[in-house]
Amino acid sequence: MPPTRPQRAGLRRPRGSLRGAAHVRLRLGFLVIAMVLSVFAGRLVQLQGIDPNSYAAMAAAEGMVQVALKAERGDILDRNGKPLADSVDGEMVVADPYMTSDDAPELAKFLSSRLDIDYFATLKKLRETDSRFEYLARRVPSTVATDVVNAAEEAGFEGIATRPDPIRDYPAADVAANLVGFMGTDEALGGLERTFDAQLAGKDGSARYEVGGGNRIPLGESTIERAVDGRDLRTTIDLDLQWYTQRVLAQTVQDSRAESGFAVVMDTRTGEILAEADDPTFDANHPLESPDEDRGARSMSGVYEPGSVEKVLTLSALIDAGKVTPRTRLEVPGELDREDRPIHDWFPHGLIHLTLAGVIAKSSNIGTVLAADKFDSGELRSYLTRFGLGQRTDIGVRGETKGILPGPSQWTHQVQDRIAFGQSLSVNAVQMAAAVNTIANGGVRVSPSLIQGSAITDDGTVVGSDHTTTRRVVSEKAARDTAHMMERVVDPDVGVAPAAAVPGYRVAGKTGTAQRVGEECGCYDGTFTVSFAGFAPADDPRFTVYVVVQNPGNGGGGGSVAGPAFSKIMSYALRRYAVPPTGTHPSRLPVEW
Amino acid sequence: MSSPAVQFRSRMPRIAEAAVERARLTVVPRRRVRAARVPFVSLVSLVLLGGVIGLLLFNTSMQQASFAATSLESQASTLSAREQTLRMELDVLRNPQHVAEQARKMGMVTAGSPAFLSLADGKVLGDATPPDPAQNVRILPPAPPMPAVLNPAPTFVDAPDQGLGNGHGHGHGASSASRGHGSGRNNTASHENHQNHKHQNNQPHLPQHR
Repeated sequence: MPPTRPQRAGLRRPRGSLRGAAHVRLRLGFLVIAMVLSVFAGRLVQLQGIDPNSYAAMAAAEGMVQVALKAERGDILDRNGKPLADSVDGEMVVADPYMTSDDAPELAKFLSSRLDIDYFATLKKLRETDSRFEYLARRVPSTVATDVVNAAEEAGFEGIATRPDPIRDYPAADVAANLVGFMGTDEALGGLERTFDAQLAGKDGSARYEVGGGNRIPLGESTIERAVDGRDLRTTIDLDLQWYTQRVLAQTVQDSRAESGFAVVMDTRTGEILAEADDPTFDANHPLESPDEDRGARSMSGVYEPGSVEKVLTLSALIDAGKVTPRTRLEVPGELDREDRPIHDWFPHGLIHLTLAGVIAKSSNIGTVLAADKFDSGELRSYLTRFGLGQRTDIGVRGETKGILPGPSQWTHQVQDRIAFGQSLSVNAVQMAAAVNTIANGGVRVSPSLIQGSAITDDGTVVGSDHTTTRRVVSEKAARDTAHMMERVVDPDVGVAPAAAVPGYRVAGKTGTAQRVGEECGCYDGTFTVSFAGFAPADDPRFTVYVVVQNPGNGGGGGSVAGPAFSKIMSYALRRYAVPPTGTHPSRLPVEW
Repeated sequence: MSSPAVQFRSRMPRIAEAAVERARLTVVPRRRVRAARVPFVSLVSLVLLGGVIGLLLFNTSMQQASFAATSLESQASTLSAREQTLRMELDVLRNPQHVAEQARKMGMVTAGSPAFLSLADGKVLGDATPPDPAQNVRILPPAPPMPAVLNPAPTFVDAPDQGLGNGHGHGHGASSASRGHGSGRNNTASHENHQNHKHQNNQPHLPQHR
């Protein structure tokens, strides 16, 4: 048998070598199938056994879109609803340097000519290695950004795209910038923007849904968390009046070669601040172009000694206490020797006979000190506290100073002498305006407000016109008498500030020229703060205007520097709010005897 | 129910007995009726088909709506962006500074004091004064000072001596000239010194090289 087998095999070999036996083929086939199936089985174990969730998540993420829904930041409005700051849909233009580096010069040229960006900086970003994401321009109005990116795509450029990026716009640029503040790239950096950020910012939302071919798949998975837009903040500022006040103030500061200045316009009856100007100021759209110290509100953060404007408070308190009347006769010597140093008037004189009205009209320090001698101990301090000095006004402006009103332990007789005419105490502009406004408002102090309604600052203080408080400081008669005396200040014959008069109207006012405390030495450094505070119409006041100019380089005083600015601002305010003259005769109180 | 029939039968027992006999009801054998299958099957398949086609149509229309929604959404966002950009431009145009500048260009001036006419009694309050253009409030910031490069200090040159003709004028010229020239001469002098210094530094090297 063995010899025959090779023969058979030899006969069958051609067929067997080609196709093999049926069972061999079957086995081979099974083997292949088993191998393939075991690969599948292995893969199945890998997919389902080892980490099924991550694959499920990957599958879900495919075609899933996550979109951030930006909350719109609330506007900051003036009292008439005109925007001081508003939010506009914007886009950022971003690039993928991996795709843009090849034709970077052409693309950079294209973009820098259409967007307001620098060619070289753009070129560098477009060529950045190891980066897939570069910001080219931020806060571009979305119509512009979309147009540019579409045009770039049409021109054959690749790799630039847009993302939502809301713009904060300050349409009035520098108007009220010192109050409103400004935004950094992603956060509020100053002013009302920062103080009321919680209210303005709102809350971003997000949406997640499935898309196919760029369209949302109906009945597909989708979750939407709606964005909560920020709430508007309405201020009491009158945009036009604020603008005018700022321009008048800027002109005053420039013409007198002064260091800085501020002005406050207040509604006498409601205490609402219609304008609060600071100079130098800055453009809120380009805050970094101005020095840091110009970006805050000097009117609130800078303390200064009010000078003779304070005499108004002293003398009204004296009248209220029943110690004097506007006709009280005073013998005013040329120099008054007091405990530590002699007191002088701003003008040289011998012995003159002034009435109390004359003391105000001529702004006599000595006369004021002589009158203030009639106060009981502690009386003046209690009056000044009730006028609101030494306490924050809490109108919602950051960094407000309390001012300095010496405590009872430091309140010596010499200190009282100097405080009586406005030195040795410090105030901020709104504090002082509110104090003078007390006289205008018939002796009732209305707390000033800058925010309409109610709002909560970032330190939790509740502010706004809803929380206005009033308190009587001096009697109505004392306030009226003081107003009559103040009318003599702008009288062309007897007063020191005829330039502050408003033609056709009865104006009550008071000049102030105070020695200024220098920052380096902490002493009077020979520079002055000049100011003018007043209200009109004197017999039915509607507005209180307070103008302060720091360190005028032309040697002017309160009447000649701040007076004309007061006149212009007051005249504009009266005109703008259509306040007719009262048509009565101005005060004729005697100033001398 | 049966009692009236029994009464009826007993009252006239013999009349038309045969008819009664014939009319006697018998139970009909139950007959199985097969409802026609075709209508039912076609109804079911019609419902099925209708359902499928309806679902398909519904789905398609939803897709259509989704396309429409997407395109309308993008249109809405484009329009709202456009509106906001326009509003932004409008705010810039309404900015008091811009309005004031335009008004000044048209020759308008800051108003003087107004008079008020009381309609109740016809009285005129206040005295209207014509505005004084000199009292215009400055609305533009002053031009920044020119940088020194573009605004060099004037240079003075010594006037040639013109004899005794105008001694007075000459004296003035000379004094200012000497001041201006003095600084200039100092500058050139220092420059020359500097150059000399260089030369002196270089000179010692030269012989060595030779």
